Amino acid sequence: MNSPRSRILDLGKNRPSIEILEAGEGPPLLFLHSAGGIYAWEGILPLLTRNFHVYAPLLPGFGQSTGLDRLEDQFDLFLLGFDIIEALGIERPYIVGESFGGWMAAEMAALRPREISRLALAAPVGLWRDEAPVADIFGKTIGELVPYLFYNQTCMAAMRMNMVTMLFSEEDDRSQEQVEILIAMSRGFQTVAKFLFPIPENGLERRLWRIKAPTLIVWGEQDRLISPTYAEIFSEKIAQSEVVKIPDTGHLIGLESPEPYAEAILRWGDG
Amino acid sequence: MKFNWFHLMPYRWLPDNFRELYHGVWVDLPNSLYDPQRGHQLYHEYLDMIEYADQLGFDSIGVNEHHQNGYGLMPSPNLMAAALARRTTKAMILVLGNSIALYNPPTRVAEEFAMLDVISGGRLIAGFPVGTPMDVNYCYGQNPATIREKYREAHDLIIKAWREREPFAWNGKYTKLRYVNIWPQPIQKPHPPIWIPGLSSIETWDFCAANSYNYSYLSFSGYKKAQKMLDGYWERMATLGKEPNPYSCAFAQQVCLSDTDAECEEAWWPHVDYFFNRCLHLYPGMTAPPGYTSEASIRAATVAQAGNTSMNLGTNKSWKELVEGGYIIAGGPETVRQQLEELARSLRCGHLCLALHIGSAPIELTNRSTYIFATEVMPLLRPVWSEWEDHWWPKALPETDRAVPGDRNQAVKTRAERPLEVIK
Repeated sequence: MNSPRSRILDLGKNRPSIEILEAGEGPPLLFLHSAGGIYAWEGILPLLTRNFHVYAPLLPGFGQSTGLDRLEDQFDLFLLGFDIIEALGIERPYIVGESFGGWMAAEMAALRPREISRLALAAPVGLWRDEAPVADIFGKTIGELVPYLFYNQTCMAAMRMNMVTMLFSEEDDRSQEQVEILIAMSRGFQTVAKFLFPIPENGLERRLWRIKAPTLIVWGEQDRLISPTYAEIFSEKIAQSEVVKIPDTGHLIGLESPEPYAEAILRWGDG
Repeated sequence: MKFNWFHLMPYRWLPDNFRELYHGVWVDLPNSLYDPQRGHQLYHEYLDMIEYADQLGFDSIGVNEHHQNGYGLMPSPNLMAAALARRTTKAMILVLGNSIALYNPPTRVAEEFAMLDVISGGRLIAGFPVGTPMDVNYCYGQNPATIREKYREAHDLIIKAWREREPFAWNGKYTKLRYVNIWPQPIQKPHPPIWIPGLSSIETWDFCAANSYNYSYLSFSGYKKAQKMLDGYWERMATLGKEPNPYSCAFAQQVCLSDTDAECEEAWWPHVDYFFNRCLHLYPGMTAPPGYTSEASIRAATVAQAGNTSMNLGTNKSWKELVEGGYIIAGGPETVRQQLEELARSLRCGHLCLALHIGSAPIELTNRSTYIFATEVMPLLRPVWSEWEDHWWPKALPETDRAVPGDRNQAVKTRAERPLEVIK
């Protein structure tokens, strides 16, 4: 349960090359990661394998996946999601998406409503209200982002992120390995920027009505990156939907409160 | 060598506790700090300084583009260049430059630069920067993941717009135009010389080499810190088989001149302090958006030990440290001449962009500095690199063929002041 298999998915010539992490047995669940990628098989991922065969693709720029230059606009990205489903040979999966991945999951469900059986969006990005602006993840230092992402800033993942800030020094004293870590981070972030810079809103709201899959919307009550008030907007616009808010939790729900979060996601998958 | 008098036009009244109050000088610094009435006087004082440099025989005068900041008050350098085109007659006009990926469509740059070239009698040097992340990504919302591609396309369109004599269609990824047909066309054929400002991107070096453009290294860390970077540039030029012509390279250096070495610190320190500790107070969260710098350049910068260039800015340094580190070249004319010659030879640089105005310096100090430079430093440095031909210089109309602003009014004054019917 704790060590996923990794393989590279062949999507054809001149197409992105996608690394898939997978584990567990059961009906197919497609997990779409947040802007941070999948640092380790942690958070909600191992918990989802209790009931599901979890497929977690890494988007171009993350892990071993490449081919961002093949994705010119956001619809290329959404269609890539369907190409991955096709190449995996699975049908009508349950899609769980976190933050950036939640936006992609919602867009996919709106684009081809019949091809997704169930949907769970964990603090998805993609909507915008002037009175509750989504914080700018591209205009902050890593250290400054921590309080936007975590309610409990002494949790393991928050501490790990604070450690990364030490790699950004004014001196040139980084090891080659550290430089590679910085480059890898920047590469993944570039993928996110390509689709969501500078305002993470590109019309999802006008397409939300098309979603037919029963949709669970999960939000951390103390999310400072994307206000929990967006949960209600998603819920109003998606016909069959339910909102679950997780207490004492910030934006990265899976890293802060994996158990109650997984419980809600697994329950929704049973429905 | 050639000498450019370069102005940044910083705002002069950022408060004393500025760094404690605000996280940076750029992007989100509240514009309530800007006083337009003071700004009115300041623009004219700054333009006066530049006009004085023209009168004293500097080869060129320089302006550049920055947005939403207290460090450089020229969101539109072309407006400044237009004002200078009418009020100066001799110096070439270096606009370094227009961030071409910001203009929609980019043919706007082809048009405005052509206007400047025509108005100035062919005195324009056209600069095409990508622009700083603060300017292009955070202020102007360009996507850092695609801006370099957009920049290249804008460049190709502008060059074609200047070269073609028949209307053409442009089906680009970022710009689609059914009819491109630029009026006016520049005086200089096929177009004004092009200078590319850059910091440390290898792609920029290769781009300059491929197009035979001038590479302008504009940092504020001074010539000593630039050595490794420019060594890398010259090595790259050698690899690409380009001749090591010093005029293919421009370098910006801050210079504090006074009558004697002894007087320099007292005269200049407040203004230097203002520049390094207020104007260059940059917020690190907005200097490196993802994708702006290529992986190859990040790796190369690490190898060259140049580090995060944008952060290596000389804040919190004493006068002595700034002078010893080469951030500023300071002293009387002989000291300045010696160090500038060392700079020119060690960096192999034929075009010197001089920041003779720094930070909060008033016009009395700045113009004295300009005067000493023009009379006691410039003539002695002039012969450096005279064995090389400068292929990056405007082919302006001969001075005798250039229009003199106002002359025509003078010529027709008496007729204009008589009743209309007698005019034939």
